[in-house]
Amino acid sequence: MTSLPPLPTGPASIDRREALRRAALVLGGVLSAPFAAGVLAGCEARGAPEGSWRPRALTPDQAEVVAAIAEQILPETDTPGARAVGVHRFIDALLAESYSAEQRERFVAGLADLGRAFQTSTPDQQRALLERLDHEAAPFFRTLKELTLVGYYTSEIGATRELHHAPVPGRYDGCVPLAQVGRTWAV
Amino acid sequence: MGGVTRDEPYDAIVVGSGITGGWAAKELCEKGLKTLVLERGRHVEHGKDYVTEWLQPWQLPHRGRGEQALYERDYAIQSKNYAFGETTRHFFVNDREHPYITPDGQPFRWIRGYQLGGRSLIWGRLCWRWSDLDFGANLRDGHGVDWPIRYKDLAPWYDHVERFVGVSGERLGLAYLPDGDFLPPWELNCAEHAVKRGIEQAFPGRHMTITRVANLTQAHEGRGPCRARNQCARGCSYGGYFSSLSATLPAAQRTGKLTIVTDAIVHSVIYDERTDRATGVRVIDRNTKQTREYAGRLIFLCASTLGTAQILLNSTTPRFATGLANSSGEVGHNLMDHISKAGANGTVPGLEDKYVYGRRPTGTYIPRFRNLGGSREAKVAFLRGYGIQGGAGRDGWSRGADMPGLGADFKRELREPGPWRISLQGYGECLPRHENHVDLDTQRTDQWGIPLLRVQCAWSDNERAIREDVKTQSAEMLEAAGCKDVETYDHDGPPGFSVHEMGTARMGRDPKTSVLNAHNQTHDVPNLFVTDGACMASTSCVNPSLTYMALTARAVAYAVGEVTRGNL
Repeated sequence: MTSLPPLPTGPASIDRREALRRAALVLGGVLSAPFAAGVLAGCEARGAPEGSWRPRALTPDQAEVVAAIAEQILPETDTPGARAVGVHRFIDALLAESYSAEQRERFVAGLADLGRAFQTSTPDQQRALLERLDHEAAPFFRTLKELTLVGYYTSEIGATRELHHAPVPGRYDGCVPLAQVGRTWAV
Repeated sequence: MGGVTRDEPYDAIVVGSGITGGWAAKELCEKGLKTLVLERGRHVEHGKDYVTEWLQPWQLPHRGRGEQALYERDYAIQSKNYAFGETTRHFFVNDREHPYITPDGQPFRWIRGYQLGGRSLIWGRLCWRWSDLDFGANLRDGHGVDWPIRYKDLAPWYDHVERFVGVSGERLGLAYLPDGDFLPPWELNCAEHAVKRGIEQAFPGRHMTITRVANLTQAHEGRGPCRARNQCARGCSYGGYFSSLSATLPAAQRTGKLTIVTDAIVHSVIYDERTDRATGVRVIDRNTKQTREYAGRLIFLCASTLGTAQILLNSTTPRFATGLANSSGEVGHNLMDHISKAGANGTVPGLEDKYVYGRRPTGTYIPRFRNLGGSREAKVAFLRGYGIQGGAGRDGWSRGADMPGLGADFKRELREPGPWRISLQGYGECLPRHENHVDLDTQRTDQWGIPLLRVQCAWSDNERAIREDVKTQSAEMLEAAGCKDVETYDHDGPPGFSVHEMGTARMGRDPKTSVLNAHNQTHDVPNLFVTDGACMASTSCVNPSLTYMALTARAVAYAVGEVTRGNL
């Protein structure tokens, strides 16, 4: 086994506090952490700040349901959650640009079913509902969960702060202590 | 790279700029021949045109999920290739624009990259030498025709091409998988080491090694080293892997003898009955659809196994009414591919405190262990053999989709990698059979007026028996090595899908049963050579590109020698 090169430097390793400080500077003031995280995420999620973004395949209501469920799957912890990195925007873009009309309609129909139950529930009931669907591996929920994971862990925050990402590793070491890497590789 | 010089006749015309066209160009130019390379696809500039090379996951519009409706409509065949995706689509053809015909229920997946560099941009990069176990196979069991060459004929040319390519790998001292002068091998990871120990202990005589691969573990010939990004098919401006664009075409360019013309679809080879020579090629401009001709003294067809067959079949003359150099009637026949997409996978227990750094651009290999001719070998119910590619790694975040859990605990769990998993996949030999063939449709043409290729190719019982043995043996080896949850798999794998298609203008000793002689020269037309996969008389079980390269370099040396001797 050979020794590791230094972990990546530059944008990939800006820590959370530094990122928040920079966001605060840009916005000219002190911000609450969740809000700033959302701003940071907005910078990467297809450009538009949250206020001006409009879904194209989903209605604003449906997009809100996706964002809320995604946040339950991957919530904010010591790193931002699914909503803040714009998972709902990624899913909307995928539906609008990548899926066939048939795939899109199937997704929207599945979302409508889930959304009805979800939106009329209390937070506790919502949680119980999602846990039941997860336990049963219900097909639509399974799809939504997978897309949430894709949207989150391929986001810049997901890849570089929640996980580790080395754009140009430079070498391959086939056996290093996990502690030396610390986290799952994003790619 | 200008395309308008009227420097005719060229000393040599090379049709195709992929892995063999690049080699033909380099060798011809370095021997002083004024050489024209014709490429049917667009121009691609090394580095500058690797447009997705630097994009990070969050910069991909669909985060690697691509445009699924578009793929179904326009890339129905190409999108099934493992290297196709959001970052590489531009290096694959649009299936709708480039149709071919297969019988109902008998698919052939023809994977193509029509651009300068061809499929050398997106190839799998494994480099194995053949041995006399392979070159003698047809003679031994009577399938196909005997190869007109043996290992000793090609060995110096393997040396020659490996030295330039830069092949990393481990020397094993096996007669049936000859060693070369390799760059340092890539490392096995901890799980692969554990499985290797287990397999080699339980099955004496079997080996597990790292692949021999054209990814540079150290700088070589001004290229590389490979930076362990494992995204080769996007193109690599470090020149970390071998391609026509990173290596052979620049070498050819440096001689000042090379002309490259892109967007030039070769319609046919022009043959002069009076002199009994090919005199040039007829080309259709991809954009204007205008026809023009180029004159050349030597013609090298390096247009890929099916592309070359299509050109020969479309080059008819009174003497060659069924296609140029087809007096044997074998042009288009004996199409082969390797079987693959079957094997086994499992979990490697333990090693929870270990991980990898970097993304190794290759995997492991278990060389052939069937029908080697040993007296104590197990008898099997099939001819020839297979090798097994594989690799281990820890599950990443994507395992979460099929894992129960929601919320902060779930997120924390995915922050650490999952168990080590290993997967094995066999690559097996295919017997040459006359009935597996391509021909030209008499009615339909493509948008350039070239008759569509009809492809008829099916596996036989021998390939199916190999497939079954691959699965059984892969599972037994993983179990013997202590792996858990071992399962076999057998994915959809029609012919063509290994992208090792070969055989449509085979080499042989007898002009009545083969198209090419021992020097890749057509028996019928002395100044016409074929050095791509079409020339192969059998498939071996190893990845074929290195052998194509060695044959190409050897054929050029012979052809230029013949010119010098006044025979051509």
